[in-house]
Amino acid sequence: MTDEEDRRRKGDERRHPSEKDETAMPRRAHDSGRVRAAIRNELEEVAEDSAKKETKQGVRSPQEQVITLDNISLAFEEPILENVSFDAKGGETIVVVGESGTGKSTILKLLLRLLIPDKGRVLIDGEDIVDLTFDDALKVRQKMGMVFQGAALFDSMTVYENVAYPLREHTVLTEDEIEARVREKLQFVDLEPDKVNDQMPSELSGGMKKRVGIARGLANNPEIMLYDEPTSGLDPLTTATITYLILKLQRELGVTSIVVSHDIRSAFRMASKIALLANRHIGFFGTPEEMTGSDDSYIREFLGGF
Amino acid sequence: MSGTLRSNHDAHHLILERFNDAAKRGVQSLQEFFVLAGKALGFIFVKPFYTGDLFQQMDAIGVGSIGIVLLTGFFTGMVLALQSAVQLQTFGASDYIGRLIAGSMIRELGPVLAGLMVAGRVGSGIAAQLGSMRVTEQIDALNTLGTDPIKKLVTPRVLASLIMLPVLTVINDFVGILGGSIIAMFYLGKPASLYWRTVFEQILSGGFTLHYIPNDFIQGLAKPFVFGGIISLVACYHGLNTTGGTEGVGNATTRTVVTASILILVVDYFLTQIILVLFP
Repeated sequence: MTDEEDRRRKGDERRHPSEKDETAMPRRAHDSGRVRAAIRNELEEVAEDSAKKETKQGVRSPQEQVITLDNISLAFEEPILENVSFDAKGGETIVVVGESGTGKSTILKLLLRLLIPDKGRVLIDGEDIVDLTFDDALKVRQKMGMVFQGAALFDSMTVYENVAYPLREHTVLTEDEIEARVREKLQFVDLEPDKVNDQMPSELSGGMKKRVGIARGLANNPEIMLYDEPTSGLDPLTTATITYLILKLQRELGVTSIVVSHDIRSAFRMASKIALLANRHIGFFGTPEEMTGSDDSYIREFLGGF
Repeated sequence: MSGTLRSNHDAHHLILERFNDAAKRGVQSLQEFFVLAGKALGFIFVKPFYTGDLFQQMDAIGVGSIGIVLLTGFFTGMVLALQSAVQLQTFGASDYIGRLIAGSMIRELGPVLAGLMVAGRVGSGIAAQLGSMRVTEQIDALNTLGTDPIKKLVTPRVLASLIMLPVLTVINDFVGILGGSIIAMFYLGKPASLYWRTVFEQILSGGFTLHYIPNDFIQGLAKPFVFGGIISLVACYHGLNTTGGTEGVGNATTRTVVTASILILVVDYFLTQIILVLFP
């Protein structure tokens, strides 16, 4: 890839997905004043979108409990989680926050049944997945899409093959139908299929990898999306773009989401509820407003300068 | 005095505890290895078949290794002939050099050399690839997307190794014997016809029927088949169990080459014993 193409690619990626006017967003990262203004505008826009989401929640009844963690305990060589409980109703986005190494990502592995808790129940659509066989667990996982911290794209496959992978594995769609679905999902995450289809993951920037990861997670039209640190290691603009995409998913498709993050700013933008993991327990579970209004000294300290 | 006794007691206790932990870990690893082997081999017969992955691996493991197998086989055959020529001339038995080269290459050197070369080239590659996939969460991604990583990644590699290592060994045997013929002709001055006649005497002296398969064929093909399984399974086991980032990938690769190479040499001895007892 030439430098010019690379610059164009990075510029494309940093463009806000909803922007039609290319000049409205900064194209050069070092233009810090414009960048700050753009982030401010974008976050305001996201906040407005988020305010509208109540009226647009999707297919699931908001009262229906989709995910329940019931009194979960897990230990390896030392305890990781103790009596952890929270739930997510249809269309909600639960953001799990906490200091590094507190077992946030472990919660996602429990939901995917990549790990089995020592104690407690994990309910997906009311079904306890703890005692499922390996094959049944694979079926439950097909209800979920997962976006990994490093995107975890298969590096021996092109972008197209990555997004098509779950369709080839679990559906009987024809190649034309698969192609149409891949295009739809790539467009949903604001990537141009014709440009990226044949690219290898190693040719993509961090933000593009995350977006392809989201497209792959969405390919099977899952009811639940899980995100592991979706904004870590990204610049502020790309962080805003990924936050926007997660909200867009919630708004337009009514997907129930669990997001593990240490990015409290993004967490407040996207969360229906926030679960704070501290000392192996859930120290707080409630709306962002309840969190900011809390007098708890640990919560105040955790929120710190925010 | 009692303080010294107590500290001795504590030291013994600590040593025993460590030994106990190490033994438990060893047994657990062995159990996990055999569970992986059982699943990988069992999945050969269970749908979906990842035929594309199988052919890709056969190409990478088999076709990709032909170069080093040709080189090592050819030079090993030549050096073996050179060393044997001196000894055989002493006893006036240099006419039989073809028999010696064919027997040594087909029964021992072909399978073992091909095994060691493939362990170095392919085993390390498999361990590094699966190890990288593990540390970049691609294995977790496969699980999440409803694919069993053993079925998708391990089974095609094991099956490809089981098929391709015997093929590579036959090529290794042939070029080794060819290398020997060059020494026989140009160093010992033996006619090519004599050399090749003694080679075929070695391989087919007792005939070849369904009821009687010559020992050279049994040893020459059973060994690489087993070595192929050892190399691919050891590599997949270490690759899938990689921890600790890029350093872990390096460790998995090293462990794979060392373990597979040692296992090839040890298993070679026991396999030879068993085959000699079963097919005298």
